[in-house]
Amino acid sequence: MRLPQSLFLLAVAGSSARASSDKAARPRGVAPEFAKYYQDSNTFTCISNPAVQIPFSAVNDDFCDCPDGSDEPGTSACSHLSRNSPLTVADRPGNNDEEVTAALPGFYCKNKGHRPSFVPFQRVNDGICDYEQCCDGSDEWARVGGTKCEDRCKEIGKQWRKQEEQRQKSMNVALKKKKALLVDAGRQQQEIVDQITGLEAEIKGAEAKVEGLEAELKAVEEAERKVVRTSGKGAGKVNALAGLAKGRVNELRDALLEVRRQRDETHSRLKELEEILSKFKVEYNPNFNDEGVKRAVRSWEDYAAREKVEDTNKAQDRDLDEIAKEDGESSGINWEHWENEEDGCKDSDLVYQLAAYLPPSLVAFIEDKVLSLRSFLESSGILAKPDVDSSSESKAVTDARNALKSEEDSLKALKNKLRDQRADLEKDYGPAGIFRALKDQCISRDAGEYTYEHCFLDGTKQISKKGGSSMSMGRFTRIGYTAVEELNDAGEIVSVAKIALEYERGQHCWNGPNRSTKVVLECGEENEILKVAEDEKCVYSMLVTTPAVCAGGEENGHPPRSKDEL
Amino acid sequence: MARSRPASRWTPLLSLVVLIAFIVAPGLAVKHENFKTCDQSGFCRRNRAYADNASGQGASWSSPYELDPATIHFKDGQLTGVLIKTTSANEKVHLPLALSFLESGAARLLVDEEKRLKGDVEVRHGSKANKKRYDEAEKWVIVGGLDASRSATLNAQSETGFTKVLYGPENKFEAIIRHAPFEVEFQRDGQTHIQLNHQGFLNMEHWRPKVEGKDGESGEDESTWWEESFGGNTDSKPRGPESIGLDITFPSYNHVFGIPEHADSLSLKETRGGSGNHENPYRMYNSDVFEYELDSPMTLYGSIPFMQAHRKGSTVGVFWLNAAETWVDIVKKSASSNPLSMSANSKTNTHTHWFSEAGRIDLFVFLGPTPQDLSKTYGELTGYTQLPQHFAIAYHQCRWNYVTDEDVKEVDAKFDKYQIPYDVIWLDLEYTDDRKYFTWDPLTFPNPKGMQEKLAASERKLVVLIDPHIKNKENYYVSQELNSKGLAVLNKDGEVYDGWCWPGSSNWVDCFNPAASPWWSSLHKYDRFKGSMPNLFIWNDMNEPSVFNGPETTMPKDNLHYGNWEHRDVHNVNGMTLVNATYQAMLERKKGEVRRPFILTRSYFAGAQRMSAMWTGDNQATWDHLAISLPMVLNNGIAGFPFAGADVGGFFHNPDRDLLARWYQAGIWYPFFRAHAHIDTRRREPYLISEPHRTIISQAIRLRYQLLPAWYTAFHEASVNGTPIVRPQYYVFPDDEEGFAIDDQLYLGDTGLLAKPVVKENTFTTDIYIADDEKYYDYFDFTIYQGAGKRHTVPAPEDKIPLLIQAGHVVPRRDRPRRSSALMRWDPYTFVITLDKNGEADGTLYVDDGETFNYERGGYIHRRFQYRDSILSSEDIGTNGAKTAEYLKTMAAVTVERVIVVDPPASWKDKSSVTIIEDGAKAGSTASLEYFEQKGGKASYAVVKSPNVGIGKTWRIEF
Repeated sequence: MRLPQSLFLLAVAGSSARASSDKAARPRGVAPEFAKYYQDSNTFTCISNPAVQIPFSAVNDDFCDCPDGSDEPGTSACSHLSRNSPLTVADRPGNNDEEVTAALPGFYCKNKGHRPSFVPFQRVNDGICDYEQCCDGSDEWARVGGTKCEDRCKEIGKQWRKQEEQRQKSMNVALKKKKALLVDAGRQQQEIVDQITGLEAEIKGAEAKVEGLEAELKAVEEAERKVVRTSGKGAGKVNALAGLAKGRVNELRDALLEVRRQRDETHSRLKELEEILSKFKVEYNPNFNDEGVKRAVRSWEDYAAREKVEDTNKAQDRDLDEIAKEDGESSGINWEHWENEEDGCKDSDLVYQLAAYLPPSLVAFIEDKVLSLRSFLESSGILAKPDVDSSSESKAVTDARNALKSEEDSLKALKNKLRDQRADLEKDYGPAGIFRALKDQCISRDAGEYTYEHCFLDGTKQISKKGGSSMSMGRFTRIGYTAVEELNDAGEIVSVAKIALEYERGQHCWNGPNRSTKVVLECGEENEILKVAEDEKCVYSMLVTTPAVCAGGEENGHPPRSKDEL
Repeated sequence: MARSRPASRWTPLLSLVVLIAFIVAPGLAVKHENFKTCDQSGFCRRNRAYADNASGQGASWSSPYELDPATIHFKDGQLTGVLIKTTSANEKVHLPLALSFLESGAARLLVDEEKRLKGDVEVRHGSKANKKRYDEAEKWVIVGGLDASRSATLNAQSETGFTKVLYGPENKFEAIIRHAPFEVEFQRDGQTHIQLNHQGFLNMEHWRPKVEGKDGESGEDESTWWEESFGGNTDSKPRGPESIGLDITFPSYNHVFGIPEHADSLSLKETRGGSGNHENPYRMYNSDVFEYELDSPMTLYGSIPFMQAHRKGSTVGVFWLNAAETWVDIVKKSASSNPLSMSANSKTNTHTHWFSEAGRIDLFVFLGPTPQDLSKTYGELTGYTQLPQHFAIAYHQCRWNYVTDEDVKEVDAKFDKYQIPYDVIWLDLEYTDDRKYFTWDPLTFPNPKGMQEKLAASERKLVVLIDPHIKNKENYYVSQELNSKGLAVLNKDGEVYDGWCWPGSSNWVDCFNPAASPWWSSLHKYDRFKGSMPNLFIWNDMNEPSVFNGPETTMPKDNLHYGNWEHRDVHNVNGMTLVNATYQAMLERKKGEVRRPFILTRSYFAGAQRMSAMWTGDNQATWDHLAISLPMVLNNGIAGFPFAGADVGGFFHNPDRDLLARWYQAGIWYPFFRAHAHIDTRRREPYLISEPHRTIISQAIRLRYQLLPAWYTAFHEASVNGTPIVRPQYYVFPDDEEGFAIDDQLYLGDTGLLAKPVVKENTFTTDIYIADDEKYYDYFDFTIYQGAGKRHTVPAPEDKIPLLIQAGHVVPRRDRPRRSSALMRWDPYTFVITLDKNGEADGTLYVDDGETFNYERGGYIHRRFQYRDSILSSEDIGTNGAKTAEYLKTMAAVTVERVIVVDPPASWKDKSSVTIIEDGAKAGSTASLEYFEQKGGKASYAVVKSPNVGIGKTWRIEF
């Protein structure tokens, strides 16, 4: 059992108070741990510069005598002894050329009823009650300008203890949560290991299957060469052709519909963009002479001045509507007729006849637009090229081929999955892989005109409250460390390394870089965004609490396996 | 697809063109096409042509202006008469003239035009524009000093054709007026210092009707008489040509200073071309110049048409009181009969030529003879710098923008964490709700009061931006009231003028309207500007006014202000009228709570010093901009507006750490010390800068704080006698010709502190010019520099500010670093004493509550410290008032903790104590003295420990 820290400190304060009453009282502002330097009642020896000795009456006489400031523990007389001060030779007592280092961490506030603390010397007797460090108000003992700081330690101490208790509780909860996260992370990792084992087996099976299907296909092909092909419906070539043509037409129709949909979408996006730009042109600040903006406006003006792309032709749209209808007796081609037609013509005639059955607009369209558009789309990689035509194959071969292909595809998928899972195992998920358990978990915070979102190991986002539009502030790249400067108990700046999740390549910033975010993690009970800042243009930082970075909880640095818990 | 084909052929070519354009045109440059050259300004061209014509004719030129002797009257220090202009058509134009002689020693020449004065003219286009020449500039500018001289008399010994007036101190000044052609010569002690119309460039474009179809019959270039277009804007000029021009010669003067604001050297350059000279006149037409260029006579945000001419032993000056667009040409000519003579005694005359687009000739003439005399006399007329609140002279932290109230609180906390003092944090325009002034963005600043309370906890302040453009939007109460009360500026047709600024479509408050000020005041009350607290102060920006879609980024000249004055008439005072209204508003935001306002203004005119501080606008993070800031601040100082500064760090772009650190080391010498940065720059608050630069910057800021007692004393001096707070070399050593053009080192008030900030990259020594043969001591290690008329090399490693103290001074300091300057209020003082050749030293100290006007009723401490015959004494030089005793009581516990005597007599080695005699003490006491010997060119020093004499008391310390 251990006393809560607060009680422990109180006990110390109490005992030292008793101790000091036995001997001469400590000079004002001296902490118990420095009391030993102030015991000689005749001479004071500067703590870090023992060569300098002064009469004890010069201690706390509001004049700085020691090069390390140790003669003024209770005043601000030596507060200028700091690297931050523009010191002249005469400001350094003892004409000392060495680097200035204060011997004392600050003015010691006893804070009876709370825990003792140091307040920086520059705050002693400045007319402000610094209750945060000095709840007993002893920093303003000189009452400059009538300042009076009453002792508030009782109330502040009580509140602090309550908070401290809560903090302790919260830390315990956080630690529990962290353990749970570790378990979760371990389980997930084990799952992957298990999956890998499973996948390896599956792949073996699939490989065998592929082999079998390859053989099957070969056999069917052999057989096929000897057998006359037959079609499902009609038996003649015309019927076969009609079947093919129908498939082809349907395929083209689907493609056409897709192209049309894409066109409409592109069109509306273009329109939206043009509206944004024309608004931008009106609203930008011409006085704010940004070359990038000026160039953008100029290019926009040139663009807008060019011949306008004609709006969707209504007649054309009607044609498209017509074409889009399913073929049947009332529209397009009545395939029934063709599929059951007696075979009486040569193959070559058929094409012409087929064309004769198509509405002229369709023929023209297929020739002029769809084909060129489609080839354009294909060449630019938007649409996939259709498989090599296999229309001359029999159903049996096709089936066999398809079966093989699908099995090959699933084998490939399995292999990919295996590769991914293996890579995932190699990936850095932080100490003990704990962030595995947090991956893709999202938290958000309202700040000003935006809501900010952080999804662990995935990305960061800024969502405007005004427009509702969302902006990527970076995709996850790595887990790193960052140095954060904090104040230690002595009020000195110390550098502390913290885990930082780095997100890069977010949405490009207008006239700037791609957005990026550094998420600095702190120990806390909840996953929570505490603060978001834009450190420089489109470079953000987030302060996020999470139990995952609280100290402790790991067992020998390895993630506890779920079975260990059982 | 078809359409794209030709384009694709052009694309590479186009991109090549764009690329080349990029390489050729530097990214950062003022947009020259946005601002007029003299050639593009009708009246500038006309007046230059007039001067060229006159000069071209040489001796045969005769100015067509005569003072009609029959009209001359002299009464009560004022000479009146009628100046007759004979036109080419032999018409006689009557121009009433008054030459007033003032008790202060200044003289004032006023010339108006009878016809316009009487309204006997027609204004074209049915315009409502006032027919008179603008005669109200003085209403905004002049606050005193107009008392007529009681001693001025006509000199009985005047030759025929001349009238002579004796005036000034002991009537040692004389104005010699030649009737025909008209000329005025100002003499002091029988020597001519200023000549008016000596070159015959006097030009008053009289009113004439526009005669259709008869262009060019006058024989003059009439192309710019009736209409002028620039940058797509057309000026309707309803009153036709009306400019005024006058040449002012300073015989035997080689240097002229003043007429800010220009990004140029302190000593003004010639403007009629030639190597090292400008091609255009110095222009004064307050403008929002984007990314202004350096070493240029181009106009900037503010203007003060006050020029000083200086030569060994004499300073004289002129103040051209005209609010319209004004240009000044400067030409220097050898006065020697042999122009090739380069001998040392060859004299140079400086010829200046002033012309304004409209208004009267209203010229004040000052005959010095010292720079201090000019500061004093000019200040009597236009007012002295207001004594600012104490926080205003400490460090200001600004950025466009601190984005939320939490952001502000965090910056505040960070300064404390790193123990860097600061007093004021600023909010640029983004704090507003949709750029509507007097509102807070509800999303980013939901709790402005909490923010201000947090700042108040360490007695810090907030400054927010309030601009004169009011968003033109329904349901915005300020816009509604502006319009319902009819307080907006009108366009030429008399409708409310609508232009573009930050909020988009906006209207401008017309502070020329007497009803505007009470309304503007009401907007600043706590119950109307909701969320504002007593520690909130105001920044008036964009008040040139800046209008994004206006000609030269400002208002059309034919816009109409209250009284139907055209914008052309009032442009240069326009910015100041807003400051005036804000000043009135901030004086008493709540009944009974009267405090000194603090306002920062970008636009200004003569007189703005009474109400505000200024800064040099949107500079850039370059070494050149750092360098130019010193002459700009110095020039503003000698022109009567010393509360000046430049954005520390540079507004546009990111300074590297070396530049930033050096800028802080320089910025602590600006009377107005504020760091500011553009919204696209990286954050650069001092604590964010990595070591060792953070320490270097902290030391610089703390040095400013340590010397605040000296700064405040210098501000006080400026507020009572107009002396600059930081002073250029010529001002301190007016007899040392070598130093006249030096504008890269400066003196802080009367303290003897001489700083020369490093403004060049990778420079680690600097040359400080020393004018006299006193010793100068390095501020930090007491190294001795001595030798008159020489430059002395002073080491300037990056962590060191080149700073010397002249021998003979008592410099007051406060050495204890605090969070803000207000918290230093009760701290003891340290005195640094440097003894001159005679073993003597002097200094002064002024202290008050730094906030109220109690000082006007004696609520202050003003002491003179003298070191004579081994005794340092403190003497009261204040005047007791109703508040004196009360203030002294609050300061009773504030004492002197340390006296450092630099370079004391060697005999002090054996001294160990001093005797202290304080008034009212029953017996003398002693304090210990310790002598510290230094060698190697460094002065020894002695330190008196804890004399503990009261700062407000009379005492002596006997060494």
